[in-house]
Amino acid sequence: MSFLTVENIVKDFGGLVANNNVSFTIEEGEIVGLIGPNGAGKTTLFNCIVGYHRPDSGKVTFRGKDVTGFRPFETNRAGIGRTFQIMKVTTGMTVLENVMVGSFCRTNNRNTARGEALHVLGDLALDAVKDYYINELPIAIQRKVGLARALATKPALLMLDEVASGLNPTEIEEVVELLRRLNSAKKITLFLIEHIMEMVMKVSQRVIVLDYGEKIAEGLPADIVKDENVIKAYLGEKYAQGL
Amino acid sequence: MEKLKDALDFSDFSKAERIGLVIFSVFLFAFPWIGAGSFTTTVMIQFLLFSLFGMGWNTIGGYGGQVELGKAQYVGIGSYTVALMMVWWKVPFWVSMPIGILIAVGYSFIIGYPLFRLKGHYFAIATICTSLVLKDIFDNWNLVGAAKGIELPIHDHPDFLYMQFKSDTYYYYFIMALFYIALFYMNWFRKSKLGYQLRMIKDDEDAAESLGIDIRWCKIKAYSIASAFVAVGGGFMAVYNLYIDPASTMELSLSIKIALMAMLGGAASLWGPIIGAAFLVPLDRFLGSWLGGQKGLTGIDFMIYAALIMIVSAYQPRGIWGIIEQFRKRGH
Amino acid sequence: MLIADALLQGILMGLLFALVSLGLTVIFGVMDIVNFAHGEFLMLGMYSVYWANLFFHIDPLIALPVSAVVGVLLGLASYYCFIKYLLRGPAIAQLFGTFGLMLFLQYFAMFLFSADYRMIDKGLLVGKSLSVGPFIFDWTKLAAGILSLIAFAVVYYFLHKTKTGKALQATSLNKEAASYMGIRTDRMNAIAWAIGGGTVGMAGGLLVNFYYAYPMVGILFVMIAFACVALGGFGSIKGVFFAGLLVGILEMIFPVFGHLIGSDFLGPHFKFTVVYLAYFIIVVVRPQGLFGWKN
Repeated sequence: MSFLTVENIVKDFGGLVANNNVSFTIEEGEIVGLIGPNGAGKTTLFNCIVGYHRPDSGKVTFRGKDVTGFRPFETNRAGIGRTFQIMKVTTGMTVLENVMVGSFCRTNNRNTARGEALHVLGDLALDAVKDYYINELPIAIQRKVGLARALATKPALLMLDEVASGLNPTEIEEVVELLRRLNSAKKITLFLIEHIMEMVMKVSQRVIVLDYGEKIAEGLPADIVKDENVIKAYLGEKYAQGL
Repeated sequence: MEKLKDALDFSDFSKAERIGLVIFSVFLFAFPWIGAGSFTTTVMIQFLLFSLFGMGWNTIGGYGGQVELGKAQYVGIGSYTVALMMVWWKVPFWVSMPIGILIAVGYSFIIGYPLFRLKGHYFAIATICTSLVLKDIFDNWNLVGAAKGIELPIHDHPDFLYMQFKSDTYYYYFIMALFYIALFYMNWFRKSKLGYQLRMIKDDEDAAESLGIDIRWCKIKAYSIASAFVAVGGGFMAVYNLYIDPASTMELSLSIKIALMAMLGGAASLWGPIIGAAFLVPLDRFLGSWLGGQKGLTGIDFMIYAALIMIVSAYQPRGIWGIIEQFRKRGH
Repeated sequence: MLIADALLQGILMGLLFALVSLGLTVIFGVMDIVNFAHGEFLMLGMYSVYWANLFFHIDPLIALPVSAVVGVLLGLASYYCFIKYLLRGPAIAQLFGTFGLMLFLQYFAMFLFSADYRMIDKGLLVGKSLSVGPFIFDWTKLAAGILSLIAFAVVYYFLHKTKTGKALQATSLNKEAASYMGIRTDRMNAIAWAIGGGTVGMAGGLLVNFYYAYPMVGILFVMIAFACVALGGFGSIKGVFFAGLLVGILEMIFPVFGHLIGSDFLGPHFKFTVVYLAYFIIVVVRPQGLFGWKN
């Protein structure tokens, strides 16, 4: 039995099919990338798994448990964490408080929550900014805070939505390093949407490609870049024929 | 034990705030001894009562960020429970008030469950509606005195069980005790798991849900805590005024006042509701007694009051505490 | 028979309710703000016709444009002097702000006109009734219903057929997109407030023919208007028309049911309770309103 099983997910937004019959599995400990052109339905697929959308049909199983149609807080409690592509810039809570909310997911004690939040912040080298508000921080740090918040809920599977977009090459390098470390040291399974091909290819062990809501390819990064369907989807029909 | 420590621990506030709290507390304790007249005592009692209401509202309205405008129905539940049980069965205040709280909490769960499916304006107006429905029912229900209201039996001798005293000073100290319980509770609340979760919900609901927070349930919990606070105040109103009617306990304007005090002072801060009440209650009272009584000036007091609300909401929506914090930040 | 009568009376009241709620929904649609002071515009519309009638002996029906003009001016003044500044703040401040405006206008009216209940006693239609078969209609209510319908139709035409009206609709669909297309949001907001004030002021002018004017009269009608707007779906013009009719009928028919089954709890005192409950149930069960389109 697989760690995460997604079977025949269909999501239709009033005639606009965002996900059509998508199926795949993820094994424990893997790093899997999800790529596809804009509007391919990547974020919708994430939302269907996590529970922001209820799929029209299909089934999601996580660690042997049917989590289809769970609310996001229920999937989180089951062990799936996620980050958002766009972090809402808020002014109400400091970085530490944000991460503490994450830790409170697993404990009722404030001191324990605080200790764990500090630990996660230390792990991500965010100690220095712990008393800042999110709106006072550059975007790269905001992303990291989002990641820290999700990590503090102690997920077994972490789903990252474009964690590297808007970052410069050095920052991307750092994120790649960090993700690898989380995967190897903390044994967290990673599933990431990414736009930046370079990064996906570097970090993922396996890649799934979506186009127009359908899965068009799946395999090792090295094979995916050579896949005819993928090239077509990314570069357009004409270019592919010219190859 | 740890909870108690959290409740009494004000160490994360600035020195100025702590000194302010001490001076304020000394003033509160000494107030009846510094030769206060009966009018100022009434104003002080109102101030403490509205601080209590405001602190309650602050859980759901301030920390949770929900525009809740139906708190008056819980004032009604609290006061009617105490009054009716006393009139019908001679139940002492100390028994009927906890029952009032239980009813308020139970009712808030029943109402809260459908209510918190709503958001934004829908939610705000729905809270008003629920409160008005209850008022309509009490206005027309002969068993509970309808619009005429009910008078509580007056005892010949002061009676602690029924909270009947000759002097306002006793009521003053009683509401002051409630005020401090509320203050300590709120001091714990803002540091509690629920407090953190509510602030997250206010900031970003989607993110909150992704962090394992059951948003609706959190809101319902905060709503019922707020309702319990307000019901306590309602129970006090019944024994203090010895007369209650739907107009004085369940009117929309009361709901608005409660929310307004917290807003004006600064929502989602521990001091906000207290500052708001300290500002609005005396203003309301003094304007009323100076201007309201004059011939030909009826309404002027409320016009000033309303103009103030308008100015604050247009120019300083973060309230008085917001202004103070702004100055402090500039100081750094 | 009783039911048929209540139905017809309810439709007449419903047409008036629709006119009362129209402005609220237009304002909500264009700028996402709930105007608590809407009922006070109605109240001042009522007073303007009342005073015109008392001092200048103008027939209440002929004085109707006065109330509409008063409403438009009120709407514009509120927008330019106050609401504009309110928009910068958070939603909760907006709610309190319009609530403050409501209190201010209430007590302003009390200061000027005292708390007395006032009613028009002379006029072309006042006190006259029309009997059609077994039904008896007050001419004042009949006129209110018909004129409300006409006013509603005019505004509907304006919103759907004129350039300005279409711009207004575009703004309410998508503010940002509209502003990219060169529609000035600020101007659209002002127009929405002018329409809002004008229609509700006129509704007040019609209402005063058969209902008391007093400083606090607005709150009752603003709650009804909230219910209608929610029922119709916030921001929906078509929706608010049918919702108004529905609320009017509900309000008339429930006391009749109560009377028929001899229950006190459906008595006339509770007719507005029914409206509040209807609002509550509708928004919980169907938040987009019965005919809604806007989230």
